Order: sequence, then structure tokens, then C-alpha cells
Amino acid sequence: MLHCGLCLKYNDMPDEIKKDLPANFKITIDNITIDVAPGTTILNAARAIGGDVAPPAMCYYSKLEGSGGKCRTCLVEVAAGSTADPRPMPKLVASCRTTVMDGMIVKNITSDKVTDARNGVVEFLLINHPLDCPICDQAGECHLQDLGYDHGKEGTRYKFARRTFVREDIGPFIQLHMTRCILCYRCTYVADQITNKRVHGIVDRGDHAAISTYISKAIENDFSGNMIDVCPVGALTDKTFRFKNRVWFTKPVDAHRNCKNPECCGKATLWLRGDEVFRVTARKDQWGEVQSYSGKPGWICNTCRFDKKKTSDWNIEGVTPISRHSVIGANKYKKLEVPQETIQEVMKGIEPKLLMNIHNVSEVNNPNIHLSEIERPANSGDFKKAGQHIIGDGESRQWGMKPLNGKEQTNEVD
Amino acid sequence: MSRKILLHNATVPGIRFYDVYRREGGYRSVEKALKMQPADIVEEVKKSGLRGRGGAGFPTGLKWSFIAKPEGVPRHLVCNADESEPGTFKDRYLMEFIPHLLIEGMIVSSYALGSNVSYIYIRGEYDWITDILEEAIAEARKNGWLGKNILGTGFDCEMYVHRGAGAYICGEETALIESLEGKRGNPRIKPPFPAIKGAWDRPTVVNNVETLAAIVPIINEGADAYAKIGIGKSTGTKLMSACGNINKPGVYEIDMTISVEEFIYSDEYCGGIPNGKRLKACIPGGSSVPILPANLLLTTAKGEKRLMNYESLSDGGFTTGTMMGSGGFIVLDEDQCVVKHTYTLARFYRHESCGQCSPCREGTGWMEKILKNIEEGKGQLSDIDLLWDIQRKIEGNTICPLGDAAAWPVAAAIRHFRDEFEWHVLNPEKCRTENYGLAHYADPVYVPAAV
Repeated sequence: MLHCGLCLKYNDMPDEIKKDLPANFKITIDNITIDVAPGTTILNAARAIGGDVAPPAMCYYSKLEGSGGKCRTCLVEVAAGSTADPRPMPKLVASCRTTVMDGMIVKNITSDKVTDARNGVVEFLLINHPLDCPICDQAGECHLQDLGYDHGKEGTRYKFARRTFVREDIGPFIQLHMTRCILCYRCTYVADQITNKRVHGIVDRGDHAAISTYISKAIENDFSGNMIDVCPVGALTDKTFRFKNRVWFTKPVDAHRNCKNPECCGKATLWLRGDEVFRVTARKDQWGEVQSYSGKPGWICNTCRFDKKKTSDWNIEGVTPISRHSVIGANKYKKLEVPQETIQEVMKGIEPKLLMNIHNVSEVNNPNIHLSEIERPANSGDFKKAGQHIIGDGESRQWGMKPLNGKEQTNEVD
Repeated sequence: MSRKILLHNATVPGIRFYDVYRREGGYRSVEKALKMQPADIVEEVKKSGLRGRGGAGFPTGLKWSFIAKPEGVPRHLVCNADESEPGTFKDRYLMEFIPHLLIEGMIVSSYALGSNVSYIYIRGEYDWITDILEEAIAEARKNGWLGKNILGTGFDCEMYVHRGAGAYICGEETALIESLEGKRGNPRIKPPFPAIKGAWDRPTVVNNVETLAAIVPIINEGADAYAKIGIGKSTGTKLMSACGNINKPGVYEIDMTISVEEFIYSDEYCGGIPNGKRLKACIPGGSSVPILPANLLLTTAKGEKRLMNYESLSDGGFTTGTMMGSGGFIVLDEDQCVVKHTYTLARFYRHESCGQCSPCREGTGWMEKILKNIEEGKGQLSDIDLLWDIQRKIEGNTICPLGDAAAWPVAAAIRHFRDEFEWHVLNPEKCRTENYGLAHYADPVYVPAAV
């Protein structure tokens, strides 16, 4: 019993047992057989097959040691433990934390039990999620959205108020929305494994557990920004990008720069609109994880992420390939194309001249007014230009340039 | 009067202190065990058929034999004294009155497992017992039962008491280990099991207080004598902590041959139900095991008398049976409301869920809210099916057994008491002032004729 796949991880096996095992394990997932190295998890074997066979993973992150096992979306059914011990496993197992055995037979999308359990897990994840996607910066690249589309229902059976938290400020770069958090623990693993000192963690327990710095300390670390990249939902978002744009309106391009920080990989994705860099993230692979470069995860430092917001800071390599199923792909550019300026050609070299300067003719549009100089709420009167020549009454009414009083309005409707 | 082997001298004045305990024959098992080979002790425990008393009932000897023995890596024995299950208070009694029995059992077990540093992880709320245990450990050390070179055998053993911080989840063995290491008490994902990688990645065995105390009579009287007590695979004696609507609540040591009926009604044990009330339901093994209505509790679905042991209580699976659990025997009389009772348990599990994995974190809270609505007469009939669906999706899909423990009471309550839930929904006003009563829950079980 001790040395079946149920009880012992491959890495923990004594050498004399390892010796007798084949160099490659044959594993069958949804009737597709693949050879993988011993010690591989079922999830990674399924990812090697790819496509729909790969179970979704909300908490597992292959670049973070110890992650996974918590969200339970990757549950699979093990129909046969191994060739040596072909008994099925009694419960569904978390594929991200279960290592393969030779001759293991796994059912993922071919198992009704798995589909049922996964739908249940997705329902659990969503009952307390605020579903504020229309105002969430993560929308469009949110793993919970994808999961919801694949496994969620259109309605909810949850009739109660959703969970709320006291808002906490965790510094100038990262915005924490605890209501959106699914407690995957990825950000704590990032802080443990790639930053020098972790200052945040999970406080409290159960359904009121929260990500917190406990004493409202700002998270200041050169690599803290990577917490944003690993967050599968919109719980941790880029404060410098907050409400600036929707991800599907921005255009991702691969870029690199020579970063002085030796730990920083310097390779990033810039999210552009026009020439403006709205956001910088690490480059992600098809599973939504940070890409590896020669075996090292390509984390980027906070300088690259938050400070280098000009295209001139970066050497642009080209457009990031985006899955055509992604909403970001809907706006995919083949290459960076600046529309050609044709007015010079049309005007035959004559400089274009303004036909009408709107500021001169408008009654109210005074661009020199600074809102900060007005103490009370601003109104149109503040933007009225002093001594502005008012165009004749009849004319202004016709063009709607002067506010109409109620009576006149009624007449017009008639 | 059944035989007592754990609590036989619990009422001796001053048994808490070393001198009296030793005079009453204490620490004999250490003298005997240290002359044996550790492997022989493990064999002896295997032969005794002792099963873990913490709830799961896994054979202790088998568990001990799993411990990995890599070269140069220390091993640990951890005593799980984080007794937090509602209805269970047997370990408290044992540690409070005869602390040396636990220490004696732990020294023998530490020797058998090769643990030179052993820990007692005690529930934070038992703070006065921490003092009792520490005093007892100091006494044992002073008299040469702990420390370096015990009885000149060359075996060293140190023992420490570690107080928890009041979390039910830390009674789960891997969460307990995490907490012992000074981390947040989240259960670990298994495998690896603690027997391979436990506390500080060292092989660790975690045993319940009562299990470790039971090692003492096993060594003193021999495995065969111990195995003769009890019935079938339920050997030895079991401590039951009885509470609820009974005349004599308290901790009782039973040998596992008596019937449930005898346990509830005989004057030797619970002494019947007060005020002439009738039995409605009972949870025989602590809050997380399924509740049974009176008829199924006293007789199994086959029409046999149900006995107080592991096999008989779980006869019929969860459909018509329950579990021995940790021995927290909660009796409900006809005045109790099963809906309210289930709501109370759901509230407990919601509060105690660690929040690590999603089905348990979200599901326990959801169940609690629905049950609260039904209890207050605001529920709908569809809520009952919804509850069933939620518990079904929690059970078996979580990292640790807390998810199951939260799902089972709700499942069992709906399975056996569905009409009481429906009555609550259909009589929203009445259910707040009246009780559904005994109804048909004590009617004789229909036993289909054998084919």
C-alpha cells in the first residue's frame, strides 16, 4: 500500500523503487496516451496533450513551487491508478498536485463526475464574486471569466448579499479588490519565492479570509508587480493602468529593454493604444503563466513595469501573438501600422489651415480654466469667456448654442 | 459493570500527581516497553487491533508501520489534543485527571517510533490543561521518565506541550503539523502523508490522546488480553462523551459490546432521557457524523440491535447508518428541532473552515445562510434540494475531511428528517413557536423479508 500512486509522490520515493520504474510513464488522459517523465503532474501531462484535455487551473502556477490544490477546478477522475495497481482512486483528485504513475488512466472531460464537480466549483467561486466585470480592469484577460463561460450557468441560485470587505490600500502600484479574490494564494507564493520579504498574506479564515498586509503596510519591493501578473482574477490590478483602458482596446506588442536589475528578465509585453504605452506586463504563455527563458521564469521588475511607460524606453519586437479566441485577439493588429498622412499630398504641399477655431466661436469653451482653481462644483458659467461676442439670438436658438428654457422647448417639440 | 482500563483509577484522589500515579502502578508500561525492541511494540499494537480514537478509526499499528525511516532524519510523535469537535470532550477528561497516563503512553509510543522529541498539540481553549500537562511532564522528567538516557537504556525523549490558537481545523493532522511549525493552520495536500513528510519534512505520526493512552494497557496486559475486550475489529475500550438530553452527561468508558439502547437508558451510563421525554435523534460520534432518527439508531436497517462499536454504528453505510467518530454522543429528545440543530452545526463549520479550498469556503457559508432562512421560516421547498446539491458538491471535493464533516450532518438531516424541513417551509409562522415533535421518527423500522 505504501508505494502505490495513491500514497507516495515520485520525488519522495526511495531510490531502489525509482530504479525499477520505467524511464517514461505512459498515461492516458481522455483516451489520448502520452509518454511523460516520472514526477510530472497529471495537469502538466494534460497540458502536453493540449486542447480541451487540459483541466482549467485557477490556483496552480507551474512557476511557483507549492502552488495548486486549492481551487479544485482541476479535479479529474483517476480510473486506474497504475499498471501495478489498477484500482481507481476513490475520490476525484486535484490534477495539479497528483503525479502520474505508469499506466495511469485519467478521465477529464469524458467523465460526468468531473464535469459535475467542476460546475459545482465554478458555482462556488462565483457566488461571492461581485461580477463587476464592466468596471474591472482584468476583464478580457480574466481566468474566472473564461472558466465562467466554459462551466458556469447563466443564472445564480445564490440569493444572499455577496461578501464585502473593508477596502485596503496596499501601496501606489497595486490595487487590491478583495471582493474579487478567489484565494488562490498565488500572490503569497510570488512574494515568498521571488521577492526578498513577504509583507502580505492571508488573514482570517473561512469565507472571510482576506489578502492583507495586516497593518496596512504598502507592499514595496522591486518585484511586487508580478503579483498582478499571477492573479487569475481582478483582485490585484495595476494602479497605473486603473480605469485607463480596456485590455481589448489595447494592442499587445513584445518588447525588451536592457534592465539594470540582474533578476529582471527585461522582456515584456507593452499594451499600446496608438503610441501610448498603457501598461507593461510580463510575457505570458498559452496557459496564462509568465513565460520561461532558458528555464527561468521571466519575471519583470517594478521599474520596467511601472516606470518605463514610453515606447522609446523599449525595443519593440513585434505584435504579441494572441489566441484568436481571446477578446484581445479581436483587435489584433498584424503589425504596427501608422496610418499614412495624406493631407499634404491632397493639399499639394499647402499647409492645412483651420477653417474655424472652435474656441473662437464657442460661447462656453474656455480652455484656459483650471478646474482646481474653482472651489465649488464647476458649471458652464465658469467656462464662459468674458466679453465673448454672442451670436444673434435667433441663430443661437437654431443651432442649440444657448440653453433653452422649458417653454420654448415645448414649443419646439410641438 | 464493564471493565475499565483507562479510567479505572481516575477517581483516586491525587492521581493527577506523579507519586499517586506511580503508586497506583503507573509507568510500568515504560519499564516493560523499554526492554522490548521498538518493532516488537509496533507488532504488539498491530496485534491489539487498536484503532485510532480521533474519529477515522484507522488501525494504529498499521499507521505506525508506515513511518519512513530515512538515515539521519529525526522522527516525531505528535499527540493530537486539539479536541474541538462539538460534543466530544473525552480527551479533556483524560488529560485533566490522569495526565500521566497520556505521558506514559507517549513515552512508549515515542520509543516504538524512534521519536526523540514528541509534542502534545493542545487546543488553545484548554489553557488550564496545558498547565496540568506541563506540570506532569516536569514531574516525569524529574523522576527520570523523560530526558536523556531513560532508565539507562540509552533512549532519549523530550516532550513539549504546544498550545493551539483556537482553530478546529488544526485538529486535522496536516493542519496541526503546519500550526506546530508556526505557520497558518491550513491542511496540506496529501500525498505526501505525514508518515513520509510531516513536521519540518520529517516522518511524523499524529495520534489522538485516547489512542496514545490506550498504548499503556496494551503494553501492560499484552495485545492478546486487550484484543479480547470488545467485539470483532472494535477491540479494547472506548471513551464516550455523552451529552444532550440525558440524565447523566459525562465521559464513560465502554467496552464495545453494549447496545446503543443500553448506553442511553441504563443507569450505569446515560441514565435515560429526563422528564419522561422520548428519544428523537442522536449523533453518536461527534458533530460531523451523520445524525440518525431514534428508530434507525436503536436498530439497524436489518432489524438487528445496534451496538456501540465501529462496525455496528456504520452498518448500512450513510443511508441507514452513521459512524463511531470521536465518541461525542449527542442525544436529542422530542423537543429538539433538527433544522435548528443542523443550522447550528452548519454555522460552526462555516466559522471553522480554513478558507483554503473553494468548495468548503463558499459552500459552508451558503449552507448556513439557507439553513438560517429555513429555520426562520423564510425558506422555500426548493431550498431543501439546493442544500442537498451543495453538500453533494462539497463532499469529497475538498483538500481535507472538514468539507466532508460539514456536508455529512446536512446530508443526514435532509435524508432522515426531510419532512421536518418541509414542515418548516410550509408553516413559516408555526415553526417559530412550535416544534415538529417526535413525529414518526421512533416508529419501528420496516425490515424487508430476507429473500
